[in-house]
Amino acid sequence: MNGAAETVSARLASPTDEAGLIRAAQRGDEDAFERLVRSYDQSVLRIASNLLRSPDEARDVYQEAFLKVYRNLHQFRFDCSFHTWLYRIVTNICLDRLRRRRVRREESALVETADGVVDRAVQAVEKAPASDPERQMLNRELGSRIAAALNELTPRERTVFELRHYEGLRLRAIGEVIGTTEEAAKNCLFRATQKMRASLEAFV
Amino acid sequence: MKMTCAEVREQLVFYAYGEVSPAVEEQVEAHLESCPECRAERARHAAFLEALDERQDFTDPALLVACRNDLRAAIQAGRAKSGWFDWLRDVAQMHIPFRVPVGALALLAVGFFGARLVPQPFGGVEAGVAAPMFSSVRSVEPDGTGRIEIAVDDVRRRVVSGNIGDPAIQALLVSAVRDEANPGVRVESIGALGNGGESDEVMHALIGAVTRDPDAGVRLKAIEALKQYAGHADVRRTLAGVLVKDDDPGVRVQAIDLLSAHHDPSIVGILQDAVQKEDNGYIRSRCRNLLEMMNASVGTY
Repeated sequence: MNGAAETVSARLASPTDEAGLIRAAQRGDEDAFERLVRSYDQSVLRIASNLLRSPDEARDVYQEAFLKVYRNLHQFRFDCSFHTWLYRIVTNICLDRLRRRRVRREESALVETADGVVDRAVQAVEKAPASDPERQMLNRELGSRIAAALNELTPRERTVFELRHYEGLRLRAIGEVIGTTEEAAKNCLFRATQKMRASLEAFV
Repeated sequence: MKMTCAEVREQLVFYAYGEVSPAVEEQVEAHLESCPECRAERARHAAFLEALDERQDFTDPALLVACRNDLRAAIQAGRAKSGWFDWLRDVAQMHIPFRVPVGALALLAVGFFGARLVPQPFGGVEAGVAAPMFSSVRSVEPDGTGRIEIAVDDVRRRVVSGNIGDPAIQALLVSAVRDEANPGVRVESIGALGNGGESDEVMHALIGAVTRDPDAGVRLKAIEALKQYAGHADVRRTLAGVLVKDDDPGVRVQAIDLLSAHHDPSIVGILQDAVQKEDNGYIRSRCRNLLEMMNASVGTY
């Protein structure tokens, strides 16, 4: 679960390398900017995809986030880590979209079918036939229940839970990313976990 | 101070993530040692956390490539637009007496460079000489009389255009795939080559990119472009190699996608090997499924 954060830091040999890349990109070095994007873009796309459960929206978020970075990189003053700054941009865009979706009651990625609730995002990724059909079916059902339970959380709870459980970020970093204190992020994680456990009680 | 069961259960959420202070951790552990109910609750919580891993990670390597292309195009479009718009806006904001000479100079420049950009023949394609010239100074020698002799290498940018079927265009693209430092240019070149007709030189350039390019996005694009060569034995051997050697799971997934198009018995051993050694569960299951589709045994005996 902590793999995501570790992968990002492993991809850049050291913080000095990253600072050098950022400074070069600030001077207009396109290659440096591209390398910076490549260091983080898989994580950005994964967070957007998993939070929004829509490939089209994730693609929009990716573009919007990195264009914001491109246009505002000259204002980055190293007063927080680049990783925190970037995640703040990404989560703000995702939170806005989740909130708008709640207000508009947009169509969810979850659909009712004859086989129960199904996550269309999962369906889109699944291409291979099952090697153990029964187990695959149970896992798919649990996967859909998890997606439904996450969908019931508030946008903020969902973001905190995603960043802590699936992305492996520390609560302090999550506080910085979503613009709150570590204590508030902790309370948010507690509420999200309680709700998730209640929703999935029948499965675990 | 001892913790109550209610306090411990509240802390279990954070304890499981290693988000408690050493003092709280000690108290929780001391309580768990003596309280079977709270130990059972910790086991239930661990089972819940484990179950959460059943959510499928929703990341598609093809989507990543599409996003990178979108971003590159948006940045290039934005840069071209902002350059001209910024310049026009600056001119518009000048005092009227300055606008006239600036406008006249601009018209003169348009005429001058426009004349130089008239396409000239270049093999089977058209080439034009664009304005920018890049110079690098190789040596500087004062001759003692106050004059200086400077050796300069000039590199002038040319614009070459033509059909993808033209050998000269293909040769330029193949050269960009092999030698260009900018990964964005390599991706664009591979994309263009993938849309052209089949040729041995293009196929080997793409194979080279799949096996040697340091950028995973470029390797993904090269595998995509190799689709039309998927039946070729060299390509299938290359893809099998990618499956066991490439460190990027997205690239390995793309290799399996292409390998799945032809059920080639010669790759059975490699697939069986991947089922045993692959770290990524999704890729393992794809290899297993491909073996099953080929009626081959999943394990090695």
